[in-house]
Amino acid sequence: MAPTSCSLCRDAKAILKRPKTGQQICKNCFFFVFETEVHHTITESKLFKPGDRVAIGASGGKDSTVLAYVMKTLNERYNYGLDLFLLSIDEGITGYRDDSLETVKRNQQQYDMPLKILSYDELYGWTMDAIVEQIGKKNNCTFCGVFRRQALDRGAASLKVDHIVTGHNADDIAETVLMNIMRGDIARLGRCTSICTQGEDTIKRSKPFKYAYEKEIVMYAYFKKLDYFSTECIYSPDAYRGHARTFLKDLEAARPSAIIDIIHSGEAFEVKEEIKATQKAQQTCKRCGYMSSNDLCKACTLLEGLERGMANSVITDRARKKMDAIGPAPDNIRTIPLFRSTPTIAVELPSQS
Amino acid sequence: MSSCGNPATEEQALMPRRLKFGKSKDCVRCRLKPGNIVIRHAVYCKECFTPIVDMKFRKALEPSVNARAGTSKRPKLKASGNLCLAFSGGLGSSITLDIVHNTYFSSRPPLDDLGKPRGGTNHPRNVSVWPSCLVCYVEVCGAFAGMHDRTEDIRSVVERYPSFEFVPLRIEDAFDGSWWTKVSGSNITPQVWLELSKEGLITDGLHVASKVTDLTPVEAMRSYLSSLPTQTAISSALQNLTRVLILHTAHSRGSSHLLFGSSLTSISISLLSSISQGGGYAIREELQEEWAPVAASGSKPNNVLRVIRPLRDVTAKECAIYAWWNNISVVGRDKQRRAILGIAALTKNFVVGLEKDYPSTVSTIARTCEKLEPKDVPSGQCRLCKRPMQSAIQEWKDRISIRSYSDDKLAADLAHIPSPCRGNLDTRTPPQVPPLLALTDFLCYSCHTTLTSRSSRGVKQSAPGVSSATPLPIWVADRGLHEDGLIGDGTRRKIPKEEMLDIVANFLINDQELRGMRYLQRFL
Repeated sequence: MAPTSCSLCRDAKAILKRPKTGQQICKNCFFFVFETEVHHTITESKLFKPGDRVAIGASGGKDSTVLAYVMKTLNERYNYGLDLFLLSIDEGITGYRDDSLETVKRNQQQYDMPLKILSYDELYGWTMDAIVEQIGKKNNCTFCGVFRRQALDRGAASLKVDHIVTGHNADDIAETVLMNIMRGDIARLGRCTSICTQGEDTIKRSKPFKYAYEKEIVMYAYFKKLDYFSTECIYSPDAYRGHARTFLKDLEAARPSAIIDIIHSGEAFEVKEEIKATQKAQQTCKRCGYMSSNDLCKACTLLEGLERGMANSVITDRARKKMDAIGPAPDNIRTIPLFRSTPTIAVELPSQS
Repeated sequence: MSSCGNPATEEQALMPRRLKFGKSKDCVRCRLKPGNIVIRHAVYCKECFTPIVDMKFRKALEPSVNARAGTSKRPKLKASGNLCLAFSGGLGSSITLDIVHNTYFSSRPPLDDLGKPRGGTNHPRNVSVWPSCLVCYVEVCGAFAGMHDRTEDIRSVVERYPSFEFVPLRIEDAFDGSWWTKVSGSNITPQVWLELSKEGLITDGLHVASKVTDLTPVEAMRSYLSSLPTQTAISSALQNLTRVLILHTAHSRGSSHLLFGSSLTSISISLLSSISQGGGYAIREELQEEWAPVAASGSKPNNVLRVIRPLRDVTAKECAIYAWWNNISVVGRDKQRRAILGIAALTKNFVVGLEKDYPSTVSTIARTCEKLEPKDVPSGQCRLCKRPMQSAIQEWKDRISIRSYSDDKLAADLAHIPSPCRGNLDTRTPPQVPPLLALTDFLCYSCHTTLTSRSSRGVKQSAPGVSSATPLPIWVADRGLHEDGLIGDGTRRKIPKEEMLDIVANFLINDQELRGMRYLQRFL
């Protein structure tokens, strides 16, 4: 059978079938359309302006590695005029994060970008290993997710950046839409398809891979021979999210457009005005100054639970009230340092080799 | 002894099993009798259970009966038209049929010697909520070879309720001009045909084609279904055909209310399935809608049909128990239709499976979706599913994925294309040829995706002698397509003279011919 020619350039031999469009295309056209689509996502959403300092949330995994590479490529190709940084969070998971951070350090050399690593231990006094030791594997993702979000903001503030970009891809967003519907999280459902979010006093967060399929990111990393770390977290994944992920993969197998169709659905609806009016107003945490919808932010609540040996009982708001009923927090417990938007922490620059 | 059979095992060391119900085994309502059923950790006895379901049904339906809400706390119920029940023979619709009959139609007063209600028809006691009730059933056996026609089985069930009129429909009616004449009152029965690719699937451009051949309604429907690219699309198309057939029938028969027997479980499944197929914009309509065919002038007529799902607070489990305890016979659905794979079937398996580990998920999905509304004002009604649609669907799709290098938007980016791929790349402005007429702008995102989104498993091979075009349901051309240019003389849009001249001018060699053309134009 004669080789199929590329559907786009009609010249080279097609070597892959794009999951997003079903078209059979050549390698060079794949690189071009992948990068150009990300460029269109960035420019049409007006994510950056020249001179912006942008931190790339880097875990060493495929998404963030491809993001760092593509951001650097587009910044040079289209003269965005951005100062790019790598920002990594060390959750303290032995045998997982320490290895992936080695990949990030290599990426720092390969892409010639400054790198900042901020650890949970440094910020909260707890590593994920220590947390799992106290609470077990169940619900540990709640702690990790809440701590990471705040750690990224604090790391970004230390780098004095205007913007954090993360490697969330189309599959992640579609999965989050489904998750939020299934667990009734109306506040998150309303904002999870936004390409850029910004809380009061916090740094902008964007998802340039919002419309990029996970499979295409893997293909891109593979064909570009990028250096990334591909091991899953050793602690059990969030069971509920696991269900949603499996369901999404089944939907994608039935019809590949399902991922982008879910995102379109998420963009097409919004929370009714009368429901929005009943949602809690955003304020700042009385203990650490980070944005919060209660007197204490979620990270401070979780940390207090850990410090008081009641970590399992602070997952829900109801449990939090129960802990409050026992008595106020002792004065001598460890707390998160006060959040300031422009603290100064030393940044590790790439060594000249 | 522990569950593992080891008597030495400490009871404390075992995972405590969560209680299936609350503290007491007695009915939570009457607190007298022992419970017979557990509904989300609450126990009910048999006697209390039926009135609770009846009450949930009425609570979901009655606030929508009167055309206007009024100020009274307990208004007298009076609908502005007839009642239509969509009946599939399944569990939910069988229960709906029974509750509607028992609640609103069976308690009519006895007739006098002359066969008229005692006290006269206008006596308040004799005024019913709806003047009459019709039961619509759509037979889908025409869509699948070897499927049993169940119309007579269904008729025998409906005949047990003498106050109801049975209206049998067939899925192929969607392609039948005589049915359309009956419901629309219009003698014109135009039909839109779509171009097919060499694989026998509808082309991505949704180009309108000339009529290929005369087909019977069954042949037309089968041609349409076989031109759809995925099992998901076939399942979704059948669901839409059924829905729109019933909507038009109910509307043409002067109904003010149309009831579907979807339980809370099936509503949650259809909401999640619709979102997964890009139907987020019409999420409100999945729960409850006010529908009317858009008139030729583009304005909505006054007689609006309210589509209500009164079992929206009753789970499938409750429906099953209700039917069992009240001896309601359920015909059931054909297994062949159930076996269609695709997003709808996957969603059903997922939600039902999830319900075991996370029992509140079903109601959470429905409650969450009740809090949502579409972002923008609709740009019209989708030609295929007759639901509100967003504007600029194709633009959105083009924006997020590059499918061709001839797109104007790419002009600036093509400079960055790698050199090996530039060989055959024609960056010149493409010649101005008449654009093919397309249905793209007349469809909602979900229907557009249904017709064009392909499977990852490769395309099917065309059968020998496959047609080059397929007909669409007859209501696609119900209004305004003449004006929109999708159909007219033949099936091609008549291009305005000035536009035609501009197009032709690009191919003319010199000004003299152009002047001659302008001269000829006067006589066109």
